[in-house]
Amino acid sequence: MVVAEDGDRQTQLLRGALDMCLLALLAKEPAHGYDLVRRVEAAGFEAVGYGTVYPLLTRMRRLGLVADELQPSPSGPPRKVYALTDAGTARLDAWRRQWRRFVEIVDATLTDQDTSRASGDAGADTPTDTPRS
Amino acid sequence: MDTIDDAIATADRTWRAQGVSGADRASLAADLRADLAAAAEDGIGPAELLGPDVPGFARRLADEAGVRRAPREYLRFLRTSIAGSLLGGAAGFALITMVVHPLLVALFDLPRSVKVPILLAAGVFYGAAVAFAVAGSVAAVRIRLRHLPYTRNTANAMAVLIPAAALVAAPLAVGFARLTGYSTSPWVVLTECALVVAAHIGAVLLARRWALREPGTSFAI
Repeated sequence: MVVAEDGDRQTQLLRGALDMCLLALLAKEPAHGYDLVRRVEAAGFEAVGYGTVYPLLTRMRRLGLVADELQPSPSGPPRKVYALTDAGTARLDAWRRQWRRFVEIVDATLTDQDTSRASGDAGADTPTDTPRS
Repeated sequence: MDTIDDAIATADRTWRAQGVSGADRASLAADLRADLAAAAEDGIGPAELLGPDVPGFARRLADEAGVRRAPREYLRFLRTSIAGSLLGGAAGFALITMVVHPLLVALFDLPRSVKVPILLAAGVFYGAAVAFAVAGSVAAVRIRLRHLPYTRNTANAMAVLIPAAALVAAPLAVGFARLTGYSTSPWVVLTECALVVAAHIGAVLLARRWALREPGTSFAI
């Protein structure tokens, strides 16, 4: 049950960040659809399949964030390879800044909670001499 | 789904059912085919990539690609247009016989020397009824189906194609009636009606198909 909840939560978290991750991976090196899926898996996103990545790639192409070009393949017909456009590079920079701010806020919030819990636990461990009235 | 062709065929059926235009379907299919072929070169088949829910994948792909969707809805257009034409035709017939004809008789008294050709009189009488039927059909579609995409274009095309179909069907029906000696037997009358209805159906289907062609070819009157 906990594992299933973890999986759902992971999916929800990923939903807001996957397009950014795809742009980041394509910024490193252009790729065709299936190759991008392999790189996403290699990056640690195991639950993300072709059925998610390819439609997203299509949307980013529609938005002008990535462009495709044909590249010769050593063993078959030319492959359509996707690469970032200038607009995609600019969008990735903006998203990256936004993400870092977001992570800082979340981290700070979690750290505050950890600190208050630790001090609360310490307070609970300390015996009090004050008698109840 | 064993081959790329199977996967593309399944996806294409899904897009077709969604009302994705032919050009967009071809574009989506070509891109997907190239990508699946690239994966196949690496030994990964379409079943492994797409999983069992290819229609779901195709729907997501069409959503993300932002392609134009226009469901054909042929049956709804046919039902609505036929109902509208029956109502319009009946209203027109009633108006002509109960209002216009008595009014004309009261206002004008043609001398007996003036002979009105029977063909002209029949043409005006039935032509007016057909005009009402066409108006009823077009109005019904525009009003009842206004929430569907490209209804206005469809109705505009109907306004041209239904009268054209009537011009073809009427001589055929009259010719058939003449061949059968203007018989009033049920099968003869039914055949004459079927000719007219078939022409109407053809005109509506063609109008809808015409309206759903690519943007830039809209039918404006």
